[in-house]
Amino acid sequence: MTEATDLAERAGDRDPRIGLRAVSALRRLLEQLEAVQVRSARNQGWSWQEIAAELGVSRQAVHKKYGRQ
Amino acid sequence: MFERFTKDARAVVEGAVTHSERVGARTVEEEHVLLALLDREGTRGSFALTSLGEAGFRESLERDLAEARRRGGLSRADADALSGLGIDLSEIVSRVEEAHGEGVLEPGGRGGDGRRGRRRPFGQEAKDVLVRALRVATTRRDRHIGDEHLLLAITLRGGVAAEALADHGVTYESVTRVLYGGTGVGAGGENGVAEAG
Repeated sequence: MTEATDLAERAGDRDPRIGLRAVSALRRLLEQLEAVQVRSARNQGWSWQEIAAELGVSRQAVHKKYGRQ
Repeated sequence: MFERFTKDARAVVEGAVTHSERVGARTVEEEHVLLALLDREGTRGSFALTSLGEAGFRESLERDLAEARRRGGLSRADADALSGLGIDLSEIVSRVEEAHGEGVLEPGGRGGDGRRGRRRPFGQEAKDVLVRALRVATTRRDRHIGDEHLLLAITLRGGVAAEALADHGVTYESVTRVLYGGTGVGAGGENGVAEAG
């Protein structure tokens, strides 16, 4: 059937392409999830410092990434 | 690089910027390039698309793109790879939307536009389309980069746009067949696919 279905069927075959694709997909998903959560925290009045502490990164890092939005 | 772009290819790049502005995205993305390609008439790229696409092609394609955007810009192949890890992407999307509102996982961030008037940057995937278009043209020994090369580049990337196109019968092979009458041999189809994503 579709390429997607083929990929799914091979998922159990330890095909590196599937594993790598999953990692890449997770990374992109993670970026979106982080953005959603940071935005939500800011809307609820959290400081950059508080958000950074929860994410385990520096305040500067989180501010640089999301500060202008 | 742009000096080798034909007038049609430049029009697609400009159109992509316009599409990005229209939806208030911060960057120009691959799907904006695709939408700009679909706007064109009387070009090699649009010839391929109209030859292969059926009635209602554009609307259906736009629906597919919107659906993928809602999943955080992940393709079905991505979703399947994640399910191999036991991760149910649709479940995640529905829970996050429940808590934070419909469409919150869409990439590219809408609104918050401090960039108005400034040059809108091309996102990584859209840049990759331009680079691949150049490569496709080079491999085919075409001296200029036309909008058909942009279309071929998108089909080779294997991303959300390529998936949506493939669902409508537009693949590297079918576009090559329509445009060049061959089977796409010699254009590095295999290579391109292996590098995709």
